[in-house]
Amino acid sequence: MSKCTKRKLRGRLWTTTKGIPMHLIVDGKPIDIEADPEMPLLWALRDLAGKTGPKFGCGIAACGACTVHMDGTPVRSCILPLREVQGEITTIEGISTDGKLHPVQQAWLEEQVAQCGYCQAGQIMSAVALLDEIDNPSDEDIDNAMGGNLCRCGTYPRIRAAIKKAAALKTAGI
Amino acid sequence: MRAFIVIATSAIMVFAMATWVLAQETQTPATVDAAAGLPEWEKIYAVFSHPRCANCHVEDDHPRWSGAHYGKTRFHAFNVQRGIDGSGLGNPGLRCMTCHFETNSAVLHGPPGAENWHLAPAEMVWFGKSSGEICAQIKDPARNGGRTLAEVAEHVRSDKLVGWGWSPGPGREPAPGSAEETYQAIEKWAAAGAPCP
Ligand code: FES
Ligand code: FES
Repeated sequence: MSKCTKRKLRGRLWTTTKGIPMHLIVDGKPIDIEADPEMPLLWALRDLAGKTGPKFGCGIAACGACTVHMDGTPVRSCILPLREVQGEITTIEGISTDGKLHPVQQAWLEEQVAQCGYCQAGQIMSAVALLDEIDNPSDEDIDNAMGGNLCRCGTYPRIRAAIKKAAALKTAGI
Repeated sequence: MRAFIVIATSAIMVFAMATWVLAQETQTPATVDAAAGLPEWEKIYAVFSHPRCANCHVEDDHPRWSGAHYGKTRFHAFNVQRGIDGSGLGNPGLRCMTCHFETNSAVLHGPPGAENWHLAPAEMVWFGKSSGEICAQIKDPARNGGRTLAEVAEHVRSDKLVGWGWSPGPGREPAPGSAEETYQAIEKWAAAGAPCP
């Protein structure tokens, strides 16, 4: 093992070399993997299941870039060990249906929300969860739901506008 | 005569009811042994007022963060709140369980975890309260989840989220003692008449 790889692995709490068989449902499809139960879900999604939509930002649930849904509840996949995964996982790659964008994705496009885009998969997953529970969120509802999703590019005003547009699109059945 | 019996019976019933309600409210046995009870209360207060417990027993909507790495005690970051429905489970789109799972993150500053992570109901307020105020609260079924003191003790001993206070994960100071020791202290304090300072 090179010095560089050793350095990267030091402090990691799971191993990539030995695993046990596990069965996940991701974006509606069954996925069989072999992984260390301590491995965070994000690693399994990106490295083992090929779902690179969720992003790694901080690794300590402090930025929201890795947000996916577990049975509809948003979770920070960078910190959720595989042994605690119970229920179906939905990533940004699984929210459109029949080739049609989810209203939140459509609104994001129309409002041109993204700048660098790195945080946006997580932003969208939190916004989807918010609109699943509140049809027409106020500014306060949006602040309450989105406070854990950081954007270094400062796209917050456009995120707010897009959530309101998505609410309207959803209500109109678009 | 009949009217007198009816009135007397009613008066006895009202008196009995009032006594029962008072007993339920205060849960204080007839005799109070302050010398035996107060030292036990001090052990209980040291736990209940400790940041691992009090930071989520708040009157307002904001859980607190505190500890060596935080400087002074502060609101939980990310605009985390009790929840507009009052559930203590957070708000739609950002639930407590978005980040707090069933076990502690092993990473410093990673989110701690225990089963059913949530804020205590607002009436069970410990954060910023005096020893006497917490003592009165814990004896009041209207503000302790409708529990007898025996049930409070059992809750402290067996609830997984309460138990987290003694094993809070890396970088956090645990509450003093243990769940079992706190259970024993509550039992002894209750047996001594549950005196408050
Ligand atoms: S990478 Fe998961 S919250 Fe930052
Ligand atoms: S768009 Fe760049 S971090 Fe959010």
